[in-house]
Amino acid sequence: MNEVTLYPWRAFWTLYRREMLRFLKVIAQTVFTPLINSTLYLLIFGVSLGANIKLESGTSYLSFLIPGLVMMGVLNNAFQNSSSSIVSGRFSGDLEDLKVVPITPQMILWAMAVGGLSRGLVVGFITFVVGEVFHVTLQGVVTGVAHPMYLLFFLSVGGLAFAMIGISIAFWAKTFDQMSAVSSFVLMPLIYLGGVFFSIGGLHPIWQALAYFNPVLYLINGVRFGILGMSDVDVTTAAIVSIASLVFCYGLALRSLKVASYSRW
Amino acid sequence: MSSEAPILIENLVKDYGEGESRLRAVDHVSMVMRPGEILGLLGPNGAGKTSIISTIVTLEKPTAGRVSVFGFDVCKRPQQTKMLIGFVPQELIHHGYFDVMEILEFHSGYFGRLKNRDRIEWILRELALWDHRNKKVKQLSGGMKRRLLIAKALVHEPKLLILDEPTAGVDIELRESLWRFVGELKREGVAILLTTHYIEEAESLCDRIGILQKGKLLRLAATQELINELTKREIVVKLKGTVKDTVKDTVVPSHPYLVGQSNNELVFQVPSHIGAMDLVIGLGIELSLISDLTIRDGSLEEAMKRVLNDKTVIS
Repeated sequence: MNEVTLYPWRAFWTLYRREMLRFLKVIAQTVFTPLINSTLYLLIFGVSLGANIKLESGTSYLSFLIPGLVMMGVLNNAFQNSSSSIVSGRFSGDLEDLKVVPITPQMILWAMAVGGLSRGLVVGFITFVVGEVFHVTLQGVVTGVAHPMYLLFFLSVGGLAFAMIGISIAFWAKTFDQMSAVSSFVLMPLIYLGGVFFSIGGLHPIWQALAYFNPVLYLINGVRFGILGMSDVDVTTAAIVSIASLVFCYGLALRSLKVASYSRW
Repeated sequence: MSSEAPILIENLVKDYGEGESRLRAVDHVSMVMRPGEILGLLGPNGAGKTSIISTIVTLEKPTAGRVSVFGFDVCKRPQQTKMLIGFVPQELIHHGYFDVMEILEFHSGYFGRLKNRDRIEWILRELALWDHRNKKVKQLSGGMKRRLLIAKALVHEPKLLILDEPTAGVDIELRESLWRFVGELKREGVAILLTTHYIEEAESLCDRIGILQKGKLLRLAATQELINELTKREIVVKLKGTVKDTVKDTVVPSHPYLVGQSNNELVFQVPSHIGAMDLVIGLGIELSLISDLTIRDGSLEEAMKRVLNDKTVIS
């Protein structure tokens, strides 16, 4: 037979659109819930407790908190988007579709990763805006963005990496429980201990040394550098560790997409 | 392109599990599908029908052997293969978030057809789903969900349509309209591979039938050829008088095809190619003494039972 023309980018675009539409259809849980969460964090930690916290750098705790919450929103939502897409697809049989249509694992990976990142960025942006509202209300000025390109870089790398982890874990999990166990016992501690709420400068040296092994620390500090121009870690080191994490997550996700079963639960 | 076999299977083996628990679902199956034909795969549950189909549509990898679709090896060129196939799986898919139109537009997009409204509308109208295009899948009845699967398989104008039990749990009216539609697709030149448990449907629809059992392809032949070869035509000759009075001085008592008789009936089983009138004339009974003739042709179901129960008919 003559050659058959393939359309990998159109397949990518279709799956990406589908991912976007999926989270927009359940916007109450995908965007508004995280929005309420970050508002609560800002109220409790930023406004209420934050007034009594003095940072060495002289920055207000509210300013310090905003980048951490933005990145937490991006990472959580990127992870949730890709993993829930796969898990619900395995439950409904939807995922099998991706095995019988001409879309390569590579394209599935990028469509889901960029889809996850998009949702993460939407939530991250809204969190930032809410943070700014609090900041202006309490301190009369906006925090602004010190280094927009760094900000975009770290948000993108972090979002893509977590969406890719979501793909791997969703393929690995055999039940919903396993899925949420990984999220609760591995990812959430990594994010919380990655410096969303505190600066590692204040930690005991042993905890501080351990904290450097957490890649999320570099992602969060990268974002903090992007917004505030300050970071607990060297920004070049942060960029290298972030890229290395992304490459690792990419390899893991691609392997999952190639070897794991797409059949339904 | 038309000279290329829609499906070519060479020595296909598919095992599930390993070691002691290994199950051989497909056992050295070879077959060639002809362009434009409807080929039915029949066999009891666990015969290997779905495993063969899963390998063709790249859901499963073969343990050994080779499968190609229009000349493309399904393992080496899976994306090209998938462009050519429309696949209707056995199990329903629920698609929680999207409505019918969205599902079909997405499915179309995977095949590179980002703007495909006309084709989608045509399919939805043909399958009586147009009025339900804005409904979510969970709002559809079982039969509609089944039709949606067929609609999905057709959005990209596949050259080969594979239907795995498309009429399972579907009412008779819908089954008939579905098969009518399948017939139309065949006329358009689409090659169709199907499995079904409704053997009478396969008999009326399929050009050729493959009979599988325990992973082996026992027989693959033209539907009518299978029936003719493996079943007999039953002819009942009803007489006006008694058998005893009527058949004396005729060849009837020693007739090779006579298998039974009652007071006024004679029962013959003849090869399918022998016509009823040829038989009757050959009996030497005056036609005026015959009150009725009943003819019952062999069915695919009988042929299939024969293949499954009697390994001596395997070729």
